[in-house]
Amino acid sequence: MTDKVTITINEEEVSVPARTLLVDAARMAGVEIPVFCSHPKLDPVGCCRMCLVEVDGPRGTAMMASCTMPVGDGMVVRTDTEQVRTVQEANLAFILLNHPLDCPICDKGGECPLQDQTMRFGPGISQLIEPKRLAKKHYDISDTIVLDQERCVLCWRCIRYLEEWEDKPQLGLFERGNDTIVDIQDGRPVDAKTSGNIIDLCPVGALTNRVSRFAYRPWEIERTPSICLHCSVGCNVRLDSRTHQLRRIVGRENMQVNDQWICDKGRFAHAWVNDENRLATPHLRKNGRLTRVQWSEALAYVAERLAGIREKYGPDSIGAIGSGKISNESNYALQRFMRAVIGTNNIDHRDGGDVAALPTGLPALSELMKPQYGPDPQVDTVLLFGLDPSEELPVLDLHVKRAVLRGGVKLIIAHPRKIELTRYDGPYLAYLPGGESTLVDGLVRAVQDSDPSEEESPVYAAAKLLKESERTLIVYGPMAVRGESGPGVRDGLARLARTAGEGARLSYVGLDGNAQGCRDTGVLPDRLPGQFPLDDVDARSRLEALWGCDLSTSPGYTYKQMLDSQEMKALFVNGANPAAESPDWAASLEELELLVVTDLLLTETAQKADVVLPAQGWAESDGTYTNLERRVQRAPKAVTDPKSRAAPDWMIFTHLAKQMGANWPFSDAHSVTAEIARAVPGYAELTWEALGDQGRQWDAGSAPEVEETAGRASEGTSESSVGDGDYPLSLVTGTVLYDGGTLFSLTDQMHGMAHGPTVTLNPADAAESGLEPGSVVTVRSEQGELDLTLAIDVQVQTGCAWIPESLPGAPVGALINGSFTQRVKVERH
Amino acid sequence: MELGDFLKGAAEIGKAMGVTLKHLGHKPVTVEFPHEDIPIYPRFRGRHELRRYANGLERCIGCCLCEAACPTEAIYVEAAENDPEAPLSPGERHAKVYELNLLRCVFCGDCEEACPTEAIVLGHDFAMANYERKDFVLTKEELLNPGMPKVIIRPE
Repeated sequence: MTDKVTITINEEEVSVPARTLLVDAARMAGVEIPVFCSHPKLDPVGCCRMCLVEVDGPRGTAMMASCTMPVGDGMVVRTDTEQVRTVQEANLAFILLNHPLDCPICDKGGECPLQDQTMRFGPGISQLIEPKRLAKKHYDISDTIVLDQERCVLCWRCIRYLEEWEDKPQLGLFERGNDTIVDIQDGRPVDAKTSGNIIDLCPVGALTNRVSRFAYRPWEIERTPSICLHCSVGCNVRLDSRTHQLRRIVGRENMQVNDQWICDKGRFAHAWVNDENRLATPHLRKNGRLTRVQWSEALAYVAERLAGIREKYGPDSIGAIGSGKISNESNYALQRFMRAVIGTNNIDHRDGGDVAALPTGLPALSELMKPQYGPDPQVDTVLLFGLDPSEELPVLDLHVKRAVLRGGVKLIIAHPRKIELTRYDGPYLAYLPGGESTLVDGLVRAVQDSDPSEEESPVYAAAKLLKESERTLIVYGPMAVRGESGPGVRDGLARLARTAGEGARLSYVGLDGNAQGCRDTGVLPDRLPGQFPLDDVDARSRLEALWGCDLSTSPGYTYKQMLDSQEMKALFVNGANPAAESPDWAASLEELELLVVTDLLLTETAQKADVVLPAQGWAESDGTYTNLERRVQRAPKAVTDPKSRAAPDWMIFTHLAKQMGANWPFSDAHSVTAEIARAVPGYAELTWEALGDQGRQWDAGSAPEVEETAGRASEGTSESSVGDGDYPLSLVTGTVLYDGGTLFSLTDQMHGMAHGPTVTLNPADAAESGLEPGSVVTVRSEQGELDLTLAIDVQVQTGCAWIPESLPGAPVGALINGSFTQRVKVERH
Repeated sequence: MELGDFLKGAAEIGKAMGVTLKHLGHKPVTVEFPHEDIPIYPRFRGRHELRRYANGLERCIGCCLCEAACPTEAIYVEAAENDPEAPLSPGERHAKVYELNLLRCVFCGDCEEACPTEAIVLGHDFAMANYERKDFVLTKEELLNPGMPKVIIRPE
């Protein structure tokens, strides 16, 4: 593979790897060849003819398309002759024949390869006097992308991206010759989850961003390299801002994380950053109403009330809820405040202590990207357990698809729904919520079985694959391991990984943007920073010396316990919204003596608070975030609202600690990062400067071991998925990409894409119940009821009702009420 | 005093008075500004104006090139999409905000030159004094409706 060949470009000899394309070889040699259709991340097609160069061959010198031609030993290439220049000029004149030259109103103007190359290689004058071809302008091919067919130069990049990466050929070429246009297929809008990448790929202004339309000019924006926080992949993005406003988000290349792709939610759903309803001042409840107050008054009030409650009821009556959406610094400060100042371990986040996680996340995302970019694949089989990357982690989905299509990776999927990735060959293992442990046990047995080939069931097909593969990667998500049965399922999966062979590995991925960092910084009721158990002597002594206090060893309440428990008297809610999850929790928040909410917006939870403190979001303050493969990445401050008095969460807790007598040495976010480096062994060298623009993974070897329970996974867990007459359906919940969450719903242009308040049944179940799709139905469980619109989909198994989490006006928590599995029935409204 | 001196003085006065008398009937070269207009050269560069097409549509398409060309950052443009039913300018794009800070402007005319639609032009109005600093920031409405529409377009 590392064979080198020597070619001559413009009289200079260069040595490049064999099979390199000529255009890439020239780039390595520092020679620029203009291109439109060629792109390093897409297969060559050679349709724009811009890259023609002179190549000496056996039959004399010929003009060759350098983007489709692999180098050969001894090749002689010239890119700067009169002939090449004439061809480039003629080609550009040809491409510009039908280009409308409406650069002044085109969003690409200023960063347009066609503009740049016309200035550099073009003829300089136009000979065209005939009218230009007319086609559709400002034509929405989806809610977020506008197509201008007149500007298109037919380079096929968008078509190829959707085919090669998304495996969803939703754009195509239509008509012939001069009339050729790019269009959607049969009027169906482009709905691929990462479709926005075609905007970045387009070499002209044919595809533009509808959300940021006309909101920026490339020469006037400030560019801040940052990361995306919508999910835990942690894609690298660039934030383009102007006049204290975030104008646009584009993808940024990081070959270890996201290649250069980002999903549509990350690209388009950013209106919340500049939303006019963002909290800008602290609020204090006076005479039953939230009133604007100064920071000093709000903090003094909180400190005084906390001291009182601690004295009266003890430190364990105070709890705090962190969030996987806020930075390591803020989460660290929050847990230090609870542990060192209040003196309790009542600190958790959603998907925290209630979920049986593993401390280290994925081994490395790049392993899934290897099939394309590297010679040495680390993964040959992927088992996704209770994880739907298409909805939860779209860029991971892209990597998995690519690994399957290009790397020959085998895919096994275990999920209560027949998720989108099941369209690829490979066993699909269906289970009902609550049946995870049974399935894991079955898989372990099938792998151990001496001759599984006789069996035809998907479990045995999966077991066969697992046995045959040498480098299995088992990935599970929080959905499969929530609640009491969680540790059993996790340990069952660990046993499965051991049974499957030497090379098999197991990893847990959280879903929130900083889910991993939240765990690493100790926002867990039973874990200290670094995910060490509360009784770990080394960790305790290190932290006690660092913080100058004694730490409690009794485990605190988990997220769910804090919200269910009657003993909680005061609660901090930091970037979470439990009131929207369940009506019962909303009611129990009302009972608290003190509720302090730190958030960006006045959420349902904040409306119930006694004190609301305005926080800065990820774009407004420096922060580090840890993605699902333990990569710690920086998100520097990109915008500031000069009129807002919001502060970063870590600063709020630093001031609060000071009010309560502790003096923390934090002057800026970087000093908190530096203290995390001292508190968490894995982060030891990860200072702000060391992270750079591409982030750094912390060493998985520094994480503590997880103790496993003995016995089979299903032992000791109740089988709640068995149907009964009254409630025949199993409730399946989970995350969808376009949900009703505040961060998404504030982007008006995307409203049409949001998942509606629906309950989805298998067509067979719907037919049996005699209910019409589209009608309003009542979903009832033992705990409560919800009115939703009925939809049908074969993706949903028979016997299941699928209601996504955090839908606008449909808190599925009303049916679950804190338990992790539930039976429901669907009736006519 | 001798007579000769006297006569010499009288002659000088008479000569001077002659000049006065000669010009008494002439039109004055000074102008009673501000009560009278002063003549302005065609290429004089004064207060900016945003022009419209004959059909009433704004010429400005909000392309921000004037802003980019401005050496003193006196211009601020915020573009937006036209409502296809009631467009403000031809095409898809118009200027939602167009602000011009006269305190910064050096009247160099680069904006005029950069404008692809000849929308912004430097007019002939030069009396721009004001009482408040904020009044020196001209809004789009002020620029679109000039008090003195006296503009020539210089083809470059």
